[in-house]
Amino acid sequence: MSIKVEHLNHIYGEGTAFEQYALKDVNFTIEDGEFVGLIGHTGSGKSTLIQHLNGLLRASSGAIYYNGENIYTEGYDMKKLRSKVGLVFQYPEHQLFEIDVFTDVCFGPKNLGLPKTEIEARAREALSQVGLDESFYTQSPFELSGGQKRRVAIAGVLAMEPEVLILDEPTAGLDPRGRDEILDKISELHRERNMTIILVSHSMEDMARYADRLLVMNHGEKAFDGAPKEVFKHYKELEKMGLAAPQITYVVHELREHGVDIADDLTTVEEARDGILKALKEL
Amino acid sequence: MLREITLGQYYPVDSPVHRLDPRTKLFGTLVFLISLFLSKNIWGYLLATVVLAAVIRLTRVPFRFMVRGLKAILFLLLISVSFNLFLTDGEVLFQFWIFKITREGLETAGFMAVRLIYLVLGSTIMTLTTTPNELTDGLEKSLGVLNKIGVPVHEISMMMSIALRFIPILVEETDKIMKAQMARGADFESGNLIQKAKSMVPLLVPLFISAFRRATDLAMAMEARCYRGGSGRTKMKPLRYKSGDRVAYALEFVYLAGMAGLRYLG
Amino acid sequence: MGIIKASKLIFDYVRRDEEDKVEEVNRAIDTMDVDIKKGDFVAVLGHNGSGKSTFAKHVNGILLPTDGTVWISDMDTQDPDHIWDIRKTAGMVFQNPDNQIIGNVVEEDVGFGPENMGVPTDEIWKRVDDSLEAVGMTAYRMKSPNKLSGGQKQRVAIAGVMAMKPQCIILDEPTAMLDPNGRKEVIRTVRELNRREGITVLLITHYMEEVVNADRVIVMDDGKIVMDGTPREIFSQVDKLKSYRLDVPQVTELAYELKKAGVNLPDGILTRKELMENLLPLFEHRKEN
Repeated sequence: MSIKVEHLNHIYGEGTAFEQYALKDVNFTIEDGEFVGLIGHTGSGKSTLIQHLNGLLRASSGAIYYNGENIYTEGYDMKKLRSKVGLVFQYPEHQLFEIDVFTDVCFGPKNLGLPKTEIEARAREALSQVGLDESFYTQSPFELSGGQKRRVAIAGVLAMEPEVLILDEPTAGLDPRGRDEILDKISELHRERNMTIILVSHSMEDMARYADRLLVMNHGEKAFDGAPKEVFKHYKELEKMGLAAPQITYVVHELREHGVDIADDLTTVEEARDGILKALKEL
Repeated sequence: MLREITLGQYYPVDSPVHRLDPRTKLFGTLVFLISLFLSKNIWGYLLATVVLAAVIRLTRVPFRFMVRGLKAILFLLLISVSFNLFLTDGEVLFQFWIFKITREGLETAGFMAVRLIYLVLGSTIMTLTTTPNELTDGLEKSLGVLNKIGVPVHEISMMMSIALRFIPILVEETDKIMKAQMARGADFESGNLIQKAKSMVPLLVPLFISAFRRATDLAMAMEARCYRGGSGRTKMKPLRYKSGDRVAYALEFVYLAGMAGLRYLG
Repeated sequence: MGIIKASKLIFDYVRRDEEDKVEEVNRAIDTMDVDIKKGDFVAVLGHNGSGKSTFAKHVNGILLPTDGTVWISDMDTQDPDHIWDIRKTAGMVFQNPDNQIIGNVVEEDVGFGPENMGVPTDEIWKRVDDSLEAVGMTAYRMKSPNKLSGGQKQRVAIAGVMAMKPQCIILDEPTAMLDPNGRKEVIRTVRELNRREGITVLLITHYMEEVVNADRVIVMDDGKIVMDGTPREIFSQVDKLKSYRLDVPQVTELAYELKKAGVNLPDGILTRKELMENLLPLFEHRKEN
């Protein structure tokens, strides 16, 4: 049970003078239950990549296997794939349209042709998963706060009961509290439901805190693939790609350059604090 | 696919025609259109052809770009030609079952086809050599007289120019909304007409809300930058006639007079 | 009196039903007093709904006080005779880069403000040239705004405001919709304008990294000013900031955590350089003993 991407290419304007690779020979496998962070500067191909995973975009060449089946096989059920690989886009405003929150969340399961009782049961479940109680059900989705809108949008995808949840910058524009609330809910889905998560974000701090694995995209190619701690060690290369490591990484490396005996893979405030205290004690 | 729709189809090269004032070109287009309806005989069409060919040459826009616009009117062209061809009474040249072709019919159909094609080519020259901004500016200035009878000319041209700015943004947004709803299992393709119409609701509601939101934001931003309608405004790029425009106007009048004269020939 | 001054400012968002009866009153700003000095770079922090954007819209006369007064360069925003002078004095940049660019060509958009103000054509061109130069967008002057990145669009918006020759720029969450590089680009531009041209800057944001270099930081919560001071004064109170739903930069947080654990560090460390300067001697010192 996994997503396997093989030699994936996506070319715009193929055969013309403007030929451009949006994705170039991308290969990776994501196993069940992983929490993968996807990073890359704007235009690096990460948005194009995630839209391939649920079949919204079709590759120029290469293959994607979902649970062992090539999604480009003739007659493959794309609609079913989209319910299994749920994709939440960046702006909730692009998908909220119903008169109230509950009806809006019902839209996904309704499209799957489920019976009414099942649709409603799923909507309730999804809304509770994102932490919205019954008082929200009858509210208009357009009058919610930014953070609440995002949660409704996520619930709208969760109601299809996906096995994989892909989120494109779910915290953009939110204040710190709103951001933490969303990320904690996502992390909960991962921990408690063993859901596979693919999170696109610009915040290296969030990646260090939540992701088990980082995929770095650069000019349509996969540049790094590994645990955040390992990837952030390459902070100099990341900078060349218009990215950066968390601030903590820089602190730790600077300390090491000055001969302080501290591990080189610390990426969060807590880890750095413990590392520095330990180093001070050992002197 | 949606992104390929382009508006105004301006062809960016530098040519004497490109450099003309938009008002000169608007007037020229108008003169050309009128002249096509003035002309009654082969001589008129001959002059129109020569002038058209010369102008096309001057624009330095490849001819194949010009004829692209013709594809859109092909159907219209066929219909009007066949109507004229088969339904004009006169000296019968050829008859088949209920269809008969007359000499007069053939003539009218021929002229009609040429007239339609020239009409489209003439206006295409205008849009290919004038940026949308110049066009709205030109319209605003040319139609300025309408202000006196209460037509809000400045406001209309401001709206046109804002529409030009936001159409590509809204097109892209439509694409994103479609994808977001497809990710929730929406289906925009299959089903009968009623189902299809219904399936547009999840697309149109977010699009309308977004458009209204943008409109409110934009109004606020314009006010913050001291926008208060057309009066008291100055122009960064005021329209000014140059010597080329004077020559062009003169030629336009000469052409019009020539076409009017040829009407009585032969 | 400073360039921006508010006294006992109150603003209520009033929601009315169809019969125009008041349905709900939301107090967005609650008795706020503030005085901002000319030439300062002032950051206003607060979570979403703290009233910071509502305040920003008062400075430009887009919103008018329910009660109390706002003065811009001694002009009362409620005086209709001064509204256009106020908007000329205090230019505004908004959050969404797309929804504030009017022109179809970059340079024409920058010229929009001066056109509205009735500036003569030659002067408009000069102002457009200068403003594009000031934000480093001269190379893009003939481009369509749709072809620019988010950060570039915001710089065009800033140039559009600069062309009106304001004394003060208010930026209402100008970076909320941008990626980290775009964010840096915009903040760098704003800081330059403040330093080089002496423009007073009022930056509304919730990104802490952007306010480290401000002259003054104001924290708003529930429509009131709850903290007001230099970045160092503000960021030394990590717990208090967190209680207002705000973050501190990671370096500040690390320093704060170390201090709590007994490491001898000063309050309110803001940058990596400061942290190093204070942390490294501790290692040297212990090694020597």
